[in-house]
Amino acid sequence: MSEHNRIDRRTLLKIMGSAGATAVVSSACGTAGAESGAGLTGGKFDKTVALATGGPGGNQNWQPGDAVKFLPPQQIPTSSAASDTMAALPKEKLLDIFSKMNASRKWETAMKDLFVGGKDGLYGAFHTYVGEEAMANGVMAALNPDDFIASTHRGHGHLIAKGGELNRMSAEIFFKETGYNKGYGGSMHILDMSKGIMGANGIVGASYYLAAGAAIRGKVLGSTQVAVAFFGDGAAASPYYFSAVRSCANYKVPVIFVNENNFQYMGVPMAKTAPTKYISEYTKGLDLPHHLVDGNDVTAVFSATKAAVEWARSGKGPVVIEGITYRWYDHAGFAGGRVGVDGAYGLPYRSDDEVKQWISRDPVARYKTWLLSKKLASEGELAKIESDTQAAVEASIAFARQSKDPDPETGVLNTHFSGAVAATQFYNRSGLTRPTT
Amino acid sequence: MAKKTYNYAQIEAVALEMRKNKDMVFFYEYETPVATLPTGEILDLVKEFGSVRTSGGGWAIDESWIVGAAIGVATAGSIAIARTPSMATIYAIEYIYNQAGKLRSMTGGQASMPFGLWQGGGSRTRGSAGQHTEVGQEALYANLPGVKVVVPSNAYDAKGLLIAAIRDPDPVIYYDYPEVKSGDQPDVPDDAYEVPLGKAVIRQPGKDLTLVAWAPATVDVKRALPDIAKAGISAEVIDPRTLKPLDVDTLVASVKKTRRLLVVDHGHYTNGFGSHVIAEVVQAVPGVKAKKIAFPDVPGPGAAGMMAWLRPDAPKIVDAAVQMMKG
Repeated sequence: MSEHNRIDRRTLLKIMGSAGATAVVSSACGTAGAESGAGLTGGKFDKTVALATGGPGGNQNWQPGDAVKFLPPQQIPTSSAASDTMAALPKEKLLDIFSKMNASRKWETAMKDLFVGGKDGLYGAFHTYVGEEAMANGVMAALNPDDFIASTHRGHGHLIAKGGELNRMSAEIFFKETGYNKGYGGSMHILDMSKGIMGANGIVGASYYLAAGAAIRGKVLGSTQVAVAFFGDGAAASPYYFSAVRSCANYKVPVIFVNENNFQYMGVPMAKTAPTKYISEYTKGLDLPHHLVDGNDVTAVFSATKAAVEWARSGKGPVVIEGITYRWYDHAGFAGGRVGVDGAYGLPYRSDDEVKQWISRDPVARYKTWLLSKKLASEGELAKIESDTQAAVEASIAFARQSKDPDPETGVLNTHFSGAVAATQFYNRSGLTRPTT
Repeated sequence: MAKKTYNYAQIEAVALEMRKNKDMVFFYEYETPVATLPTGEILDLVKEFGSVRTSGGGWAIDESWIVGAAIGVATAGSIAIARTPSMATIYAIEYIYNQAGKLRSMTGGQASMPFGLWQGGGSRTRGSAGQHTEVGQEALYANLPGVKVVVPSNAYDAKGLLIAAIRDPDPVIYYDYPEVKSGDQPDVPDDAYEVPLGKAVIRQPGKDLTLVAWAPATVDVKRALPDIAKAGISAEVIDPRTLKPLDVDTLVASVKKTRRLLVVDHGHYTNGFGSHVIAEVVQAVPGVKAKKIAFPDVPGPGAAGMMAWLRPDAPKIVDAAVQMMKG
């Protein structure tokens, strides 16, 4: 992003009153234990926080800056059950997860470097998932290839974890004709129905109904397919969220609602907008399982999702999973980001210390450490995967660069199943020909 | 053949297509999809197709869910029809605006969208006021890229357009206006048939004036026709049936002949679909006389007298036709 955009955004946030949000405020919830991998079923929680009783909004026990205190590394309990569940997977699968987590991290980091310092003139929205890779990969490891996912505007990690192809993704970021969407969509709209990916989506809270429809269709077809709706903490405020969870619970629709709680929507801290401590408390009045997990621990996410998938496939209806995680960069674009440096700093709505602490909880590095400590893979094997994924990322960028731009006049195609939007609408009635200038 | 009601024709259209497409779903709220013939034959979609394919036997009052879930089914690859009541147009429109009409394009043609919205309409009649009298939201939908809009005005067209909408791979908004359901209805064949999308019909040939109306406005036009004839005016009456894609060719051919275009629109005056009809025709046939009668930009009032005064009814249509013939 340009310096101009960066300054505007920061100024705007200051005007909006987020400037004070960088202060770290001590809070009772900072040390509360969200047990890694623990399933909290039946709407019951071990700990809840009382609703706010005053102030401008939000939960007064849940302050701006609390993200820095949430789940400090030394207080994340290691769930041996989750670890054992994950360790039971075949080695090939464990390495595949490692490969995809690395591909996700390296691809987005490469794109960050291109947007910030590259010569490719990249444009358009780009919402990074860096820091949240354990969520997508833990969830996807528990799904079948024919299960569906409906993603968010922060969807790259979901796509890669479900098998999205880097070449076509890179080409779409470059808006080339070889991209997933032939240049029509860009980052927020990549879709691959052949892999059950119902697409990233530019509308916050759009995943719920798309996933629900796919899951209902599964019931109609007599399959045991399930669908996952990813959503952020911000999207949980959408009325569609309660609507979908409520109806899925009532009609036993097999949707797994996966909340990636990164503590902030755009530049607004969750402390200002959420009346509860956890997003998964919103629906606890409904009789369905809620799992609250450390979203930076892929074993915890996998273990919870495995249980959720078993529940949903057996016809019992939906499940909510909330993973506590963090995005290393700004909401969109790369304000505060630099080439070769992980994380965005100097953002007005969070502290640099908070970012650094979360980077120290890197989910990719953590999975690597786990694989090695469990002796499930060797240093050499993992190093090869790391270099292979880096090479694949670089090859995908070369592919994008070499691809052609879409023909401008194709913009009237693909709105309908067949045919172009009437050419009469912009020049004459005689058919689709390039307008003369 | 027993005379079918408008409602029977619609339910029959859905039943025929659900028999053909075993994965097609029909989601609705409270309008239980049951219809009866005078012979006593009952069509009951829930009974015939089971509750999974038919809203679990009636979904909760949540039109966003009904429409959104249907669009999810369609995105995943199966035909889905959502039926929502007249007060719910705006609940339904968000997901069509942001998703149904745009996913195919945004994904470079990858996303399928065999989705249909069976949208209830209101009527410009006394006793309900505002929210339950709204007509003309077809213009809102017609403004959205990627969606098609049909507005049948009799039972034959209703069945044929609904089947065409179900079979169309793109999202189609099918309007169901109560005022067109009463009165004499044409015979409705038992078999499945399509009234093709984008094809207008000339209800009455004429040479002096092209009179265009769809859905509830056709009721007023029918009432006006005897007096228009008495005034010595030969009116060519066209029902577009599909608003998008609009059959501009049929309209243009008629106005080239008559040189006069009168559009009757029960929608509100500003940006009602009638304005688009006029825009299309006058661009293609310069110099013609064109006039639109629409419902003013006010919510429909409840009192009978106020509503009647505002409605673009037969006396107003006759008057406009007579005025257009002068000079």
